[in-house]
Amino acid sequence: MKKILIVDDEKDIVETLAFMLKTKGFECICAYDGEEGLKLAKECSPDLIILDVMMPKINGYKICRLLKYDSKYKNIPIIMVTARSQEEDKVIGEETGANEYITKPFEFSDIIEAINRYI
Amino acid sequence: MSKVLIISQLTNSCREIFEEIKKNEIECMLSEQNPDNILLQVEQYCPDIVLIDTDFENCEIITKQVRTKTMPQNVQVLLLLEKDKNIDFLNFADGYISTPVCKNILIHTINSHIKIKKSLEQLGENNRELARSLYQLNVLYNTSSQFAGTLDKDKLYNIMLEALEKTLSFDISCALVFSATGNNKIFINSLCEPTESLKEALSLRVALEYKNIFENQPLPYKTNLEGIEIIQNVKPSHIQNIFDLRALNYDSLFAPIKVGDHFFGVIELFRNIPFTKEDVTCFQTIVHQVALPLRSATLYEEIKNTNVKLEKLERLKSDFVSIVSHELRTPLTPINNSLEIVLSGQAGEISDDAKNFINMAKRNVSRLSGIIEDLLDLSRVQTGKLDYKYKITSLTPSLELIQKTFEQVASEKNINVTLNIQDNLPDVYADSHRIEQIISNLVTNALKFTPKGGKIEISANVVNDSEIDKNLLVMPICKPSGNYIKVSVKDTGIGIKKEDIPKIFEKFSQIENSLTRNIGGVGLGLSITKQLLDAHLGAITVSSKENEGSDFSFYIPLVDKQKMFIMDANHAFSSSDETGILHIRENSPCNFIEKISQDNLIKLTKKSKEFKSDKDYYALLPETPLSALDFMEKTILDEFKKPQWQNCDIVLKKAHSKADGKELSKIIEKINI
Repeated sequence: MKKILIVDDEKDIVETLAFMLKTKGFECICAYDGEEGLKLAKECSPDLIILDVMMPKINGYKICRLLKYDSKYKNIPIIMVTARSQEEDKVIGEETGANEYITKPFEFSDIIEAINRYI
Repeated sequence: MSKVLIISQLTNSCREIFEEIKKNEIECMLSEQNPDNILLQVEQYCPDIVLIDTDFENCEIITKQVRTKTMPQNVQVLLLLEKDKNIDFLNFADGYISTPVCKNILIHTINSHIKIKKSLEQLGENNRELARSLYQLNVLYNTSSQFAGTLDKDKLYNIMLEALEKTLSFDISCALVFSATGNNKIFINSLCEPTESLKEALSLRVALEYKNIFENQPLPYKTNLEGIEIIQNVKPSHIQNIFDLRALNYDSLFAPIKVGDHFFGVIELFRNIPFTKEDVTCFQTIVHQVALPLRSATLYEEIKNTNVKLEKLERLKSDFVSIVSHELRTPLTPINNSLEIVLSGQAGEISDDAKNFINMAKRNVSRLSGIIEDLLDLSRVQTGKLDYKYKITSLTPSLELIQKTFEQVASEKNINVTLNIQDNLPDVYADSHRIEQIISNLVTNALKFTPKGGKIEISANVVNDSEIDKNLLVMPICKPSGNYIKVSVKDTGIGIKKEDIPKIFEKFSQIENSLTRNIGGVGLGLSITKQLLDAHLGAITVSSKENEGSDFSFYIPLVDKQKMFIMDANHAFSSSDETGILHIRENSPCNFIEKISQDNLIKLTKKSKEFKSDKDYYALLPETPLSALDFMEKTILDEFKKPQWQNCDIVLKKAHSKADGKELSKIIEKINI
């Protein structure tokens, strides 16, 4: 079973997303802030990470950068999810090495499509 | 009393002359015996007239010496000359008196020469004054042009003080000037260092004089001398001396600095030498002259401040919209997710009614998220943050997509939506996502305002810009460029009053308009549409009849030759599918232009060749930014001179540089554009 790590400080988003992904046959690990997310990313070696941008402690960009510049984790696909759809966010998202970029509010089908591109 | 000095031997006739002169109430003195002392005596005695006896030994030398010595004082030199005696130094004297002397002639001659001397002195004085006035005028003239050159208040005060110093050579000046921001100042300029007590006294004095001007009237500015900034300026060469309180006894001039009702401050000058009438005029002129530019400076300051405030407000507003939209989006996400889960049946079976209601909720979530998207777009358009992805594209798929999207909503309202696209519709240079947004806005509006059973016609065809009805244009076409693709959305809706047409393109138009309020929406769509079309160098026309329907048509310029490809600043040489046209936009960042090195131009050439086998590629260099000029000359122009560009068309829209313009127009001539 493929493991997906969901990192978002919005509990409701994590819960609904995890529920839906489970029905599609994924195993979900959830983290509710950046620090926890980074820790779990390193400990659980997920097959894919869904990462929010604006989070307390460590923001999503930083986590993404930290993972993508670490040879141990750089191959984990990362889907960035954010409500800030500003152009500059997109640029930073690309520079951090995120594989996909999805804007809130999203449709599940968008997330599933993105996941299927990588695993 | 006038003075006469007689240089003679002490003869009887000499004494007689002496006595006669004295009798006529003219001071008189007989000279020293020793000829060596005569000059010294002349200097000390300061006579008006020197009478030299030509019988006197060495009289020629003495005459010449006295003449030279006393010339600047206009002293009259008269000779006592024996009748019929001829001397060759007569022209060194101002006149002569024959001996033996006739008493009447003697006194008359002396009196005449005294008058002459006085007149000469007056003339000299007048000349000096004239020269000074001329100088003052000159300074005034220069000052007025200096005044015109700045809107900086401190600079204006300094120009004024400098001009006053040049024209009036004052010893001390003290100016108290006010500012609307409460930043009041005292300028003290002096030839020598003033003592602390003098500075204090001067400040108090100008403050008092300022209050005196507005006797029994409210003061335009508060005078709080405590902590007031004193700007002191001492001429460096005179620093060894000091000015103390005695300087207050000097002659002084005072004037308010004002024009009409605008009051800026007061100024007082002190000078040991009394001021003349001309000085007073000059002083008043200069002080009055500074008041005019000061008023302009004040107005300029006000405008500047208002502008800064407005800009800040505008930024705040768009930041606010952007933040609020973000905050609204976040909670929408779990709402949408939950609805999807329930709808999917994964959380348990639901009834058909429940499904309907959940669907209704979901539709409204997406409507809300659409409004938020609009708000965000608008704030991004306004702050220039909207990202356009231009490329050569066909509008046909976009049009078909929109028709499909609205199919269901239209059928619910029993509205027939037809799509009519001209065969072989040419490509345009556009961001297809944004074009879809435009069409979708127009169709949404048409659906909203068309009653059940109505009709909506979407059509697309090529028109020439002469076919566009200029009277119906909502905004002027910024650069008419020949052919356009016209996309029109025609409905059989309620229509719009002619006078309301410009209003509907304003932000939140529907919120203001109570009549259409019940229709729904916030009225952002058309405002965004207009801005998006602006970015595409497009246009939009509206024709409408009340209760019959509306026709919204927009126009996107055609790329002249379809072979053209445009490199957008953001995708310079990086994207693989676009090449052929080097598109330097006015706002392209400098580093982008620097990036177009020779290598890249060659790459561009190669890419063009891959794309099109034989020839014809184009360089589009519109509105070259000034910062790129050096580079333009060195790299691009040199490059275009090379033989491999022989077949290249350069479409030059506008070149700011003189040199470039010349060079490029030569090239253009060569290739016949």
